[in-house]
Amino acid sequence: MQATRKRGLHAGGAQRKRDQGAAWRGLPFVLPYLPFLILFGILPAIYALSLAFTTSKGKFIGLKNFTTTANDYRFGPAFEHVFLYTSVWLISLIVFVVGLALMLHSRASKATSTFRFLYYIPGALAGAASVLVWLFMLDPAVSPARFLLEHVFGSTLFVQAIAPGHLPFIFAMIAFWTGAGGWIVVLYGALNTIPPDLEEAARIDGAGAWTIALRLKLPMIRKWIAYMGILSFATGTQLFVEPQLVNQASLGFVPDTWSANQLAYQLAFRYGKFNEAAAVSVDLLLIGLIAAVLIVTRTGLFRKED
Amino acid sequence: MQRRVWLPILVAAVALAGCSSSKKTPAAASSSPAPSASASAAPSSTAAAPTSAAASTPAPASSAAAPSSTASGNLTVWVDAVRLPDAKAYQAAHPKVNITIVTFDGDGNGATGLQTKIQLWNKAGSGWPDVIFSEQVNDPVWMAQAPFDFAADMGSLISKDITSQWPATSLGQCTVGGKLVCLQDNLAPNVLWVNQKLMTQFGYTVPKTWQDWQALGQKVATEHPGYIIGNSGDSYGAWTYFWGNQCPLESKVSGTNVTINAADTHCTEMATLLDPLIKNGTAPPLGIFSPDFAKKYGGATDKVLLMPGPAWYAQDVFGGTLHIPAGEMTATTPLQWGTDSPITTGQIGGGPWIISKHSANTAAATDFVQWSTTVFNPDPTSKDARAGLPGYGPLQVSWLAGLAKNPYFAADPTPALKAAAGLIWQGWQLVTYPDQPVWTNTVVTGLVAGKTLTSLMPAFGKALGQAAKAAGYTVATS
Repeated sequence: MQATRKRGLHAGGAQRKRDQGAAWRGLPFVLPYLPFLILFGILPAIYALSLAFTTSKGKFIGLKNFTTTANDYRFGPAFEHVFLYTSVWLISLIVFVVGLALMLHSRASKATSTFRFLYYIPGALAGAASVLVWLFMLDPAVSPARFLLEHVFGSTLFVQAIAPGHLPFIFAMIAFWTGAGGWIVVLYGALNTIPPDLEEAARIDGAGAWTIALRLKLPMIRKWIAYMGILSFATGTQLFVEPQLVNQASLGFVPDTWSANQLAYQLAFRYGKFNEAAAVSVDLLLIGLIAAVLIVTRTGLFRKED
Repeated sequence: MQRRVWLPILVAAVALAGCSSSKKTPAAASSSPAPSASASAAPSSTAAAPTSAAASTPAPASSAAAPSSTASGNLTVWVDAVRLPDAKAYQAAHPKVNITIVTFDGDGNGATGLQTKIQLWNKAGSGWPDVIFSEQVNDPVWMAQAPFDFAADMGSLISKDITSQWPATSLGQCTVGGKLVCLQDNLAPNVLWVNQKLMTQFGYTVPKTWQDWQALGQKVATEHPGYIIGNSGDSYGAWTYFWGNQCPLESKVSGTNVTINAADTHCTEMATLLDPLIKNGTAPPLGIFSPDFAKKYGGATDKVLLMPGPAWYAQDVFGGTLHIPAGEMTATTPLQWGTDSPITTGQIGGGPWIISKHSANTAAATDFVQWSTTVFNPDPTSKDARAGLPGYGPLQVSWLAGLAKNPYFAADPTPALKAAAGLIWQGWQLVTYPDQPVWTNTVVTGLVAGKTLTSLMPAFGKALGQAAKAAGYTVATS
């Protein structure tokens, strides 16, 4: 934020005018997306906000929905689960995706296209389908990884494999495999935008592959990593499909309010408390926004110079 | 300046783009189908609800107890897979009724698919089916109350001559706020299922009391390890063991008051009785419908020696799900606690039929429910046979007569089923919240991890209390 403000102060009137013109010229490009953003993004969010501060009869009650839900016995565990899951997943996502993309980029081109394809394949399975595949993977009776399950995790039965303590890690693993491939391809694309002469110059200066990757390439794709961080954080905290499906497949072994988003769903549709559900949704929105602002200001995602 | 305005907007846009992909707000959720309603057969579109079409078809107004031929018009029914043959048979027998059958998971295991659906229909103000069959015996309790307000008063639709043929206990369960809001398709008292072939082969006598049952379990564990005399991993485990033993986990229900006391002697003595059996593997914490169970104890392995369970297990579960060969199983009366008299037993399921109060074709809806509960009764050995003991008296007689001749059973199970129907403990009442998932995710998870049932009882009682309070109940412990 500070950096932005400084730039804003220094920028002269001419610069500002040029920016304004650029903004209008950009409009046609975002126009096709705009109606959808308003209809399915902004309006529901405003609706949720208005629900969150009112009763079912529309009376304004301040933060009462927020305090009621925060005192709900399922609220704490749900957010605890989601944060554990999100941290496990986000860390592994950033470390492995960046690492694999850098490795991919420093390889010869023939092997690269094969690996790029291989990495992408698990991502071709959409959310729900991948959970179903993973349900088989986690059932020692049918799993091809049975050996691992039995000898490393000590699970001979499906109910042991999905013991409550394992769940954040299991969901993180599912999400990693379905999401990582796509991001590797994105970051690989970002690495390709680095001018080859920069790399050449570094090499002439005596930098090895390791130094080039860490000191040259990594800083140059910082914004892409930040972008991945923001999007992944939002999807991570809003985990829904995976625990919901495992709840069904395990015949109720996993609670149906395991994640915060599930709690909101249950509050709305089992208990008919749409206003409290909206409060939980707004909590999630706030968390997502705060994380996004933090990442944006820390990494200078929208800074234009350099 | 310009940039400062754009920054938060862009951040919000990015965050919102993430939101809209998953179910974030109620509005977003309502636009996508709830995953819980995934069914064995693809549910045909609920948009086919016949409100407008049915209005144009003149439906006979007062045909409550009329013969089936008078029913006509459009009708949408929601049934589980087991009730599908029933709905299809009705369709075949009533060509004048244009019936849309939607199969769903029957709300099994305390899932909340139906709550979700009804909330959505209520919000939309249309789309309700005319008739619903639910596997959850407590569903009518919440369906009859706000915010759902779905169930119609059947007492005013079906004549008393017919409804009086259900046992008083069954009608009691279906009465909410003085109105008859459902009719049980079948009665589901617990009995003791016995593998007669194995019992004879091992030279054991069938236990009469829970204490004998436990002693036999200890014996089986040493003499025939791997065989089981029950299980503790079903979502309805508490209904199997605690309901029958008069443990007050859902007692003295009146309005929004409920008594939950997991520390009562009736609860703790049963937990103490079960613990050694869970430990020695003769009552494992595995659900009977889990693939692992069938693999370890069913079919060719054939390791189910005894099984306390509901009347509808019968051929459907033992023959169908577990593939236990014919000529082995039979049922005997529920187990007694020591010398306590009279014997009481629990109940699991006993799925009810519910008519929608929003139905535009009440006549056909009523006719459908009446036909399903009082007429439909195919050959008991056929694939389409009724799974459980019918609630309607006259049909029960003919169904039991058919079952008695069923070659699947080693001995006639009907006397036990008939006797058990009158032994269901009335001190356990139905509540609006699903209590069965609480058993699964507080108790069964612990049992799987090697904890004792006794040590889990306080947590179980607490979790039940929390579920009750979340549903708006005032919880007492005595």
